[in-house]
Parts: sequence; C-alpha cells; structure tokens
Amino acid sequence: MGRLSLVLAVVLMLCAISLVTSRYQSRQLFIDYDRAQAKARDLEVDWRRLQLDRAELARSARVDHAARETLKMIAIVPERTIYINQASVPAAGAAP
Amino acid sequence: MKRVPFFNNPVLRGQLPAWRSRLVLILLFGGFLTLAGRALFLQGISTEFLQQQGERRYERTLTLPSTRGKILDRNNVVVASSVPARAIWAIPDDARSATPQQLAALAKLLDANVADIRKRLADEDKNFVYLKRQVPMEVADKIKQLALPGIHQQPEPRRYYPDGEVMAHVVGFTNVEDQGQEGVELAFNQHLSGRPGSRRVIKDRLGRVIEDVQAVTLPVDGRDLRLSVDTRLQYLVYKALTDAIALHRARGAAAVIIDARTGEILSLASLPTFNPSERASWQVSALRNQAITDTFEPGSIMKPFTAALALDLSRISPNTTFETGNGRFQYQGSTISDVSRNGTLNVAGVLRRSSNIGMTMIAEKLESREMWDKFTELGLGQAPQLGFPGAAPGRLRPWERWRLIEKATMAYGYGLSVSLLQMARAYTVFARNGDMVSLTLVKRESEPTSVKVFSPKTAGLVREMLEAAAGPDGAKLAQVQGYRVAGKSGTARKIVDGKYSLSRYRSSFVGFAPVSDPRIVVAVTIDEPQTGVYYGGAVAAPVFSTIVGGSLRLLAVQPDAPFESTVVAGLQEPQR
Repeated sequence: MGRLSLVLAVVLMLCAISLVTSRYQSRQLFIDYDRAQAKARDLEVDWRRLQLDRAELARSARVDHAARETLKMIAIVPERTIYINQASVPAAGAAP
Repeated sequence: MKRVPFFNNPVLRGQLPAWRSRLVLILLFGGFLTLAGRALFLQGISTEFLQQQGERRYERTLTLPSTRGKILDRNNVVVASSVPARAIWAIPDDARSATPQQLAALAKLLDANVADIRKRLADEDKNFVYLKRQVPMEVADKIKQLALPGIHQQPEPRRYYPDGEVMAHVVGFTNVEDQGQEGVELAFNQHLSGRPGSRRVIKDRLGRVIEDVQAVTLPVDGRDLRLSVDTRLQYLVYKALTDAIALHRARGAAAVIIDARTGEILSLASLPTFNPSERASWQVSALRNQAITDTFEPGSIMKPFTAALALDLSRISPNTTFETGNGRFQYQGSTISDVSRNGTLNVAGVLRRSSNIGMTMIAEKLESREMWDKFTELGLGQAPQLGFPGAAPGRLRPWERWRLIEKATMAYGYGLSVSLLQMARAYTVFARNGDMVSLTLVKRESEPTSVKVFSPKTAGLVREMLEAAAGPDGAKLAQVQGYRVAGKSGTARKIVDGKYSLSRYRSSFVGFAPVSDPRIVVAVTIDEPQTGVYYGGAVAAPVFSTIVGGSLRLLAVQPDAPFESTVVAGLQEPQR
C-alpha cells in the first residue's frame, strides 16, 4: 500500500512538471509564431514600398525625360519601322 | 517536571463563569460569518468587476490594422499604394521639460518652425496634440532617437501616388483617415478599404504576447483594383495636352481615349491638374475633372449624329445635295452662317466643310422627337454609368419644347450640353458597327455590353465621311502617318453673360483610328485657346494626331495606310 502511494506520488510529480514545461514551451512557440508573423508583415510592407519605388523610378514622365533629354532618342515613326507581317497592309490608295 | 494531564490542569480547576465560553463561541462564529459574507461578496456580487480588473492587468485588445488596397493600371503598374507612416503627437504637460535644442531638432525633422510647435505645446489643458501626421518612417525613426519627453508616435497609413499629377484626376486621393475623397479612390472606396481586425491577448510582465484569449478577428485587407487605364498612354495624353496648352495659352484641356472594342477607358486626362501628394499646392479649380464633370456645347462634333440619323431613316441619301449658297442663310428669323462659302454639297461635303446651313437643311427633314430619341439613345442627357463621382449628365431639353430654330441648332451642336466622355462614348457607334459600347474604368474581363443605335450600313457610310472630314480636304492636321484616321473637328463659342462670345472658344476633335479596324476612339477638347487660332481643326486636331500616333504605336497596331518606307528589311542602317 505504502509503495503504491509512493509510485503514484512520483507519477503525479512528473505529470505536474511536464504540464509546467509544456505550458512554457507553448508560450515560447507562440512568441516565435508571433514574431514570424510580424516579420511577414514587415516583408509585406517592404514589398509595397519597393513596388512604389519601382513605380516611382519607372514612371513615364521620368523615362520620357531620360530618353529624350539624356539619351537623345526620338520616337519611332512607321516609315522607319519594318513590320514583320506586312502582307495585310493595303498596297496603295486606301484613303480617299 | 511533572507531567500534568490535560484534564487535570490546575488552570481548569477554577470555576469560570459560563458566559465567557459562550462569548468566545459567538465571537468565533461571528468571525466565520464575516469571512463567509466577504467571500460571498467577492465571489458572488462583485465577481464581474474583479475579473475585469484582473483582465485589465494582463489582457490587452490589439487592433490589427488593415491595409487599403493598391490601385494598379492595366499592366499592373502601381498608381496608388499605402505604406505605414507615423503620426507624431504630444502630451503638452510632459513635453514642457524638453530643451530648446531638442525642440529645434524636432522642428527641423518635421519641416516646421519652432514657434509653431511651441504654440501647439502651449495649451497644457489638452493631453493629446497632433504635431504632424503621416510622417514617413525614416523621419519618425529619427524622432524616436531624439527621445523627447512627452512626444509619442502612432502608426497610421500613408498613401503614395507615384504618377503624381499625370494620373491625379483618374485616381483621385484619400483624406488623412485613408478614406477616398475623389476619383477612383472615392468611387471604389468600398472595394479598396479594408476592415481592421482585433485580437485579445494575454501579455507577460515583459509585454510579450503569450496567448490569444479569444479567436482572432483577422483584418481584411482592402482588395487591389486594376484599372483599364494605361499609364503610358496617360502620360502621352498628358504631355500632348500640356504642350497644346503652352502653345495656345489655353485655359484648360481634356482628352479621353476609349478602347473601341472593349469600351475600356485607356486614358482620361484633364488639365490643369494637381499633385495628389502636395495638398498645399491644390487649387480648387484644378481638382475638377474636366473630361467628366464639365459640360459644354459640343458644336460641330454633333453633326455626324444628325447626319447618321437622317441617313438611317432614309430621309437623305449620300447623293442628296444641299444648296448652302453664299454661307448666309435666313431661317426662322435668324441668320445661320457658315465659315466659308460652300456652294452645293452632299452629306459628306456638309460634314467635311462643317456646314451649319447644310445641317439645318438636314434637320428640316427630321422631327424633333426623332432627334431627341436618338440623342438620348446616344447617352446624352444622362450621366455615364461609371460610378465615377461627379459624372455630369449634360443637358438635353425635352423635345416638346424645342422651337424650330432650336431643332436646327441642335443638329449642329448648339442648345445642348455634353461632357467630353459622353461625346467619346457616342463616337464608338461609328468606330463599331453602329452599336455603342458601355464604358468602364476597371479592366474588363468579359465581353462588353453594347446598344444598337444605327444600322451597320449607316455607321459604315458615316465612317467614310468622317475619314474624308479628317482627310486632305478637311481637318488635315488630324492625319497620322501610317494610319487611316476619321474624325470631326468642332469649334464652339462659349456663352459669356448669356451671349455667345466672339473671343472665347472651345476647340474639340473627336475621332477614331485605324479606320480599317478601329481600335481607339480619341476625344480632345481645348478650352479657350488665346493665340488667335481657335478652330478645332487647327488647335485640337494636331493634339488628336499626336495622341493617336503615339497610342497606336504603343498598342502595337499595324499601320493600315500606305507610306514610304525608308528602311528595308535585311539592310544594315547606316550608323547615325
């Protein structure tokens, strides 16, 4: 009888300790999870910011200016373009 | 020491009065009763209050911010997006201990002057004062490093518009609370705005979240919106209009490009414009979207519709001739005049020479009601179904009250008012086979709906006439190298103090290209050109030509008109 209660007491102690540790672990994991989520949010924000930066750098006004002023480019006109499938262009006199 | 048994204790030997033991008993019971009562009070009656107090010490409700959706153009280029920023606020009472150097540093970071900040901090009765809102994160971090007493930060979103004034009228803007105020931001506010979530958590002594108490209400981010607008075309239009305003010293200008096949609005620009990120620079008049909210008397650009109606009803044929005489014509007690003496014209000639007299004669063969019906079918007098804020319906008076002279003037575009967008939409009947397509500002995934207005045969006839009207004998400045274009110029006098002005005009041009298989409808209007030339064919047509040429190239549409090619496949170009 006395031995059984001793065993049960030990088991009880083990249970109690494991409860405490698992509780502690769950909290640690929860904190990690939370941190990971915060990081995901930060990355999402960074992505938005980078998208904006890209749009800002690639905006038409800037590209147009760079092309015309800095690189001295000119707009392409049809007479200087070779159209690959030129067959469907009417030969002549389409406009009245 | 001698053991004294309990019952034999000498202390017990003396006879004590019986009330003493009873008193002890009563006091003990009384004590227990108090304890029980207190327990009952704590557990039963004030339990809720106590639980709340406890929770308040370790539970927190966190709001999970939601982000407003992005606005993208048709090629997924970001035209509006929110990123986190900080609001800088202060508790004036606590901020008193800040040194002048610290305040000066703060003022410098906030781009404000010190006196202004001091004034805000002067009112010590308040315990919350915003110093500046929507401060970018980099600046906010620097302010945090200053570690000023009584200065705090609060996260809030800030909206950025990378395309600035080019897209300003389409996209609109939000207010400081991230709610749409104008343009697409307002029209699709519901779609774009998210719903903030919340979670109830337990925090430990270090302030770390250790457990969710209830299920988390997740924030719902606003959905992204993909517009039908193409930023490249938008810039092209913006640039063409800016150049035209500078050239003609005009008061304003607006232009619309519509995809003739899908009804998508590819570009919608209005000048003067504003920069959505610089609120201080806004002028109220520049905020108005002239292409949608301004109505005007269209003038000659209405003529093709009257002509098409008469052709459709077989009241006239393409061979019917009109004797327009010497350019002055007495009708119903008024003089209707043409710009030049035109002699005998057929319908195509009436449109090409833009003869008001010819239109009056065509109108004579039509009834007011027929015209009203057709104009209504073309969407005039009703606001376009865009969901866009402030879309103007224009004005088309009921036909019962038209006088005969009014019927004639309506035939050539006076006596009714339209918006530029309505005009552009109406022209889709000629770009398509007589049906008018429904418009959208959002990228269309399905087939558009369209209403039939004219027969395909009539539409084809008028299309040819419009091509001639934009040809060598008409508004030839509208021509584009390599493409067949069709369109009609219009010059309308503006009404000033109830009379038609002789010095203020509105020059317009509406047309489409390429004629062999129309892809785009372009409408341009220039308000009050000041340099002497004001005819639509001279002012608006070149802008139309620039826009059409650039757009078709950007849309990679193959030329349908013959042109001299100066390059030959297989030959190396000489180095330039």
